[in-house]
Amino acid sequence: MAVDIRLPRKRKRGELTSEPRGLVSPGDVITSDTGFMRGHGTYMEDDKLHASVAGVVERVNKLICVQPLKTRYNGEVGDVVVGRITEVGQKRWRVDTNSRLNSILMLSSVNLPGGELRRRSAEDELMMRQYLSEGDLISAEVQSVFSDGALSLHTRSLKYGKLGQGILLKVSPSLVKRRKTHFHNLPCGASVILGNNGYIWISPTVENESSDTAGGFIQNLEPVSEDERGVIARLRNCILGLAEHRLMLYDTSVLYTYETSTKYEIHELLKPDVMEEVIHLARLKLEQEGT
Amino acid sequence: MTSQRADCGNLELRSQSCEQNLLSRPDGSATYCQGDTSVIVAVYGPAEVKQSKEFLDKATLEVIFKPKVGIPGCSEKFQERLIRNTCETIVLTALHPRSSINIIIQVMHNAGSLLSCCVNSTCMALLDAGLPMSCLVAAVTCSLSCDGDIILDPTSQQEKEAKAILTFVFESRDNEIITSNTHGIYSIKQYYSCVEACRKYGFVSCQSPLGTTNTVEQ
Repeated sequence: MAVDIRLPRKRKRGELTSEPRGLVSPGDVITSDTGFMRGHGTYMEDDKLHASVAGVVERVNKLICVQPLKTRYNGEVGDVVVGRITEVGQKRWRVDTNSRLNSILMLSSVNLPGGELRRRSAEDELMMRQYLSEGDLISAEVQSVFSDGALSLHTRSLKYGKLGQGILLKVSPSLVKRRKTHFHNLPCGASVILGNNGYIWISPTVENESSDTAGGFIQNLEPVSEDERGVIARLRNCILGLAEHRLMLYDTSVLYTYETSTKYEIHELLKPDVMEEVIHLARLKLEQEGT
Repeated sequence: MTSQRADCGNLELRSQSCEQNLLSRPDGSATYCQGDTSVIVAVYGPAEVKQSKEFLDKATLEVIFKPKVGIPGCSEKFQERLIRNTCETIVLTALHPRSSINIIIQVMHNAGSLLSCCVNSTCMALLDAGLPMSCLVAAVTCSLSCDGDIILDPTSQQEKEAKAILTFVFESRDNEIITSNTHGIYSIKQYYSCVEACRKYGFVSCQSPLGTTNTVEQ
């Protein structure tokens, strides 16, 4: 077996030669002007606005926020998330969605087999583990945010539900760009769910949508062909490369990176210098399209 | 960073280095080296908390101190307590009610001034985790030798020969003391001169936190 050995390299400081403006660390005074509103990452003391996290100051009219580089997911109503069931409780599932508190999926906010809306009976409660058990992955939408910051999810659409075969990636939530849709059937032959919570799901594209009666709880466990697995593995490497180089993730950026990466073998993409070149080409392409 | 003063003895710190975000699983992590003393800290949170430890108005802050060998004993529990109290004063725990913040400190090597290294490392890990804090902290240890000389950032050999060991934690906004831990015999006058000697370096460390975000040799 051939083994690839590289010398350790000093991590590059990025292409940005000048540091971004408005960089603050906790305790720094942002402004002593009282005409501003206090946003996330700031606190008021002695009529002065201080930063409470290390990051970049962002100002929208009179609102001042400090955006940290790394953070847990702050849920908003309507976000698409990918999560993992951690606990089956009475009438509810607990879901890990990379937020501060576990999210909750109520039995009343899922589509049950049978399709039509009906009362949730005691049998349904007993059957809960058959529908979703611990460790299962789901895609869902944020229905509401509780007062303590925990999220309530729902899967009341056929888009959402249990996820079958595929790869889960975890990236920083701030890297996922908010778009109209987060479900993408890419032309390269795979589907991607870019969860707003930084969990990304790559799976083979399902050709014909299965009948609505299953309620999204049936997993397709047929073997995935080797070609499809190759596409999925390449997408995984591309998305991780984008995240590593701090580029926003959305359908176009993922697709461009995928296209530029095709001249390399899948395993070659794991080498940092190859990935850097691919990302650089994809970035140039994005900038060209953007103007 | 070197300076010599005839009246106060050896006033210089050992070389320091820090690296953040080196562990993938925790929310924040940092390693901090002061000379040969080296500590690695992981911060998990804010996350779900057990109901028995839950506070309705603030986050539960837990510190776990892991020595290099053996199981934690009384002195480790005392260090945990000290670091927890220090963290509770700077972390804005009221913003995350009913959640837990776990700080795990693993000693890699102890070559003197361990407590200050732990506090500095914890502060960098909290910064990496992006937890809201009212300010940053910097800790400096000094020792008083038998003839009254102040040695900053003592090695374990110097700590052994010392008459007293004092550790101070300063905050970055007004450079005030928030934690003071002393061990040994000293006069009030000596205490104040130690505070002033340490404050000078606490101030320097606090003023350039963003410069140390990746690996920086001081």
